[in-house]
Amino acid sequence: MNTLHRRAVLSAAFAAAALLTGFEAAKADYPEKPVTLVIPYKAGGSTETMARVYSKALAKELGANVVVKTRPGAGGAVGASEVAAAKPDGYTLLFAASTSLMWPPLTQKVSYDLESFTYVGQITEYQQAIVAKADAPFNSMDELIEHAKKTNLNFADQSAMSRSYINFIGGQEGVKWTGIPTKGGGEMVPFLLGGKIDFAWSGGIHNRYGDKMKVLASMNAGRLLGSPDVPSVSEKYGVSMPSQAVIVVPKGTPDAVVKKLESAMEAATKDKAFGDLVTNKLKFPVKFVGSEALKADIAKTIEGLKQVIEKTK
Amino acid sequence: MIESLLAGFEAAFTLVNLAFIAAGVTLGILIGAIPGLGSVTALAILIPITFYMSPLPAIAFLVGVNKGGTSGGAIPAILLNSPGTPEAAASAFDGYPMTQRGEAKRAMKYALYSSVTGDMISDVLLIILVVPFAAVALQFGPLEYTAILIFAFSLLAGISSSSPTKGLIAIFGGVFLSTIGLDPVDSTQRMTFDQVNLYDGLSISAVAIGCLALASVIEQMFDLKRQQSAAAAAGQSQSKGRTALPIGEFFSHWKTIGRSALIGSGVGMLPGLGVTLAAFLSYGAAKRASAEPESFGKGNPQGIIATEAANSAVVGANLVPTIALGVPGNIAAALLIGAFIIHGIVPGPFMMTMHGELIYALFASMLMANGVHLVIGKLGIPIWSLVAKTPKSVILPPVLILCIVGVYLPGQSLFDVGVMLAFAGVGLAMRRTGFPVVCLVIGFLLGGMLETSLRQSLLLHKSDLSAMLGSPIALAFLALTAFVLVRAFRRAPKEAS
Repeated sequence: MNTLHRRAVLSAAFAAAALLTGFEAAKADYPEKPVTLVIPYKAGGSTETMARVYSKALAKELGANVVVKTRPGAGGAVGASEVAAAKPDGYTLLFAASTSLMWPPLTQKVSYDLESFTYVGQITEYQQAIVAKADAPFNSMDELIEHAKKTNLNFADQSAMSRSYINFIGGQEGVKWTGIPTKGGGEMVPFLLGGKIDFAWSGGIHNRYGDKMKVLASMNAGRLLGSPDVPSVSEKYGVSMPSQAVIVVPKGTPDAVVKKLESAMEAATKDKAFGDLVTNKLKFPVKFVGSEALKADIAKTIEGLKQVIEKTK
Repeated sequence: MIESLLAGFEAAFTLVNLAFIAAGVTLGILIGAIPGLGSVTALAILIPITFYMSPLPAIAFLVGVNKGGTSGGAIPAILLNSPGTPEAAASAFDGYPMTQRGEAKRAMKYALYSSVTGDMISDVLLIILVVPFAAVALQFGPLEYTAILIFAFSLLAGISSSSPTKGLIAIFGGVFLSTIGLDPVDSTQRMTFDQVNLYDGLSISAVAIGCLALASVIEQMFDLKRQQSAAAAAGQSQSKGRTALPIGEFFSHWKTIGRSALIGSGVGMLPGLGVTLAAFLSYGAAKRASAEPESFGKGNPQGIIATEAANSAVVGANLVPTIALGVPGNIAAALLIGAFIIHGIVPGPFMMTMHGELIYALFASMLMANGVHLVIGKLGIPIWSLVAKTPKSVILPPVLILCIVGVYLPGQSLFDVGVMLAFAGVGLAMRRTGFPVVCLVIGFLLGGMLETSLRQSLLLHKSDLSAMLGSPIALAFLALTAFVLVRAFRRAPKEAS
């Protein structure tokens, strides 16, 4: 009996080992297994929503499954760290705001730097805004500032960067407010609608809440697609946040793989379902920018960020 | 609303839809029964299949998967004392002793009936309350979440072992483990030792399956080795014992059923708290309300009812924040949101007005899925009970492999498998020393949320403790915490003697 059990246990171990090594298949033409698209934000936010639809279009173009995986935390730094350290073989992609790739390495000790990623392409632009609940006692940025001079307000940020930008504006106006860290729009929305906070930074999720939220200012360089009457903070304060939504791969990914991804991405951006979701439901502009042009954009953005960091120090 | 629901039934009651629901429930139960794979993995694997289906069957299919996946975890918990999912861990407390008495079939029937009833109650609540209750959910901010979590921890400490001190130590051990990884506010590294695999913290399924399922399997293997005649031991206990469960007998526990379904629904309506917490809160409440709390853990069917009714009740209620606010209640609901969007429905406050017909068809599908679940679950019981009749020496090795595969597959990481093996050791050591393993797992599951909520509250209220006075919900939960702890510590010495 004893030997029988020992044999049973042993054969179990062998079978397990065989099963595990079986997954490490040999490599051939890219892509020959499912591609993982990492979203460094909480499920339910704009990026994750877009990724769910985009991954389907991208999968069609690539001829391989695209698996969406969320790794939220630290304003995208958790997911970015993971992808920066992933094997550069084109099977791990990151879909994120460009700021999540630039702000943390510029301001904190994280395990990736500005050189950690190859930018494959931009898909759309985030519609970043300062938003408040519809019944908030202020209707514009100026009224918000007036209100903040009377009481200490709390706002929800979604990253160290959004916190710094809002604090920078506060500093310009001489008001103090407190940033409450949240892990993306999925957590910010109930806090704002539930009246736990006074206003919030939004990456675009406010467009899904129609008249339940109002936009006080655009945080982009220009005005927003969904609220063209609301001025951008750049008009008054001369600063704005970079807004590219990009797909990147770890540095060292073979050029051929990047090329293939880039053309698949461009084709996927023209997908009807994706276009409909982005333009009509999320109110983002579909705006594909290829690898080379994006590289130049990013270099310019980094220069701008360095200035803001210098000023807000 | 009744007309809308009837119209929903008209749209949903088709053969195709029923077939997809049945397929979903079956696949869900099968996947949920594999240790390490729960409804979340089941949904993630099966969502791509729905891309080519029209919206209603697709969503009905996924709802079926979600329901089946949540109840499937109870099967290995009852039969083998190795829960397939953390939320079924409490089903093993009383389910496995029943199996040992030869009442495996009865235990599985209890689990199935409770799942279906809990689910049904929660679905009805969802349909009636989806709009008004969204407003209630909004009352819960960081402060309230912190209070609920502290309450949940103290309640757990009291119910999971005879010594609340050991329970608390295990819980805070779990909370400590949850702080490994990047800091949620400043994104600095904590206890990662520059090991990339630790940036995102330890894998939840690796820790849970290692401590709960694998540790139990290994312990049973040791027991087998010790027993001279294992086959006799495994075969002997089976044939005896009651297998029937008249429906009247099941419903004689209506108090426990109702209470558990309400606890599950309440927890489900608050985004993030999760299925496992609901199961344990409900188990604790049932034990507390019982006239003979010492019979829990020794094969009291109420333990199974409490766990399964509550964890299945979360499934329906989780859709309340999902549909009303566009905020997913848990990962499974987040995956469902993804599926909604793929099929052209944007979740959020306008979902009801813009896609009302489809939503009511979804509600109808959920109610139909409960009936299908009952039928398929019943058909499965004789098959599953073969597992109970098979000698352990045949069953345990494949379960061991399933644990490994189940933990490996979602992240395709051997590091996770290593973590699971390490935690199997931890689990064994804790069993031997009388520390409750489930406390460690739940502390770990909810520790991250406690940290985030606590830090958010401290920032929000400028570290001013008097802010609690402004929140009746938080105050109530903190008062309950004090009450529960005092009671647990007073009772402890009596039980130990």
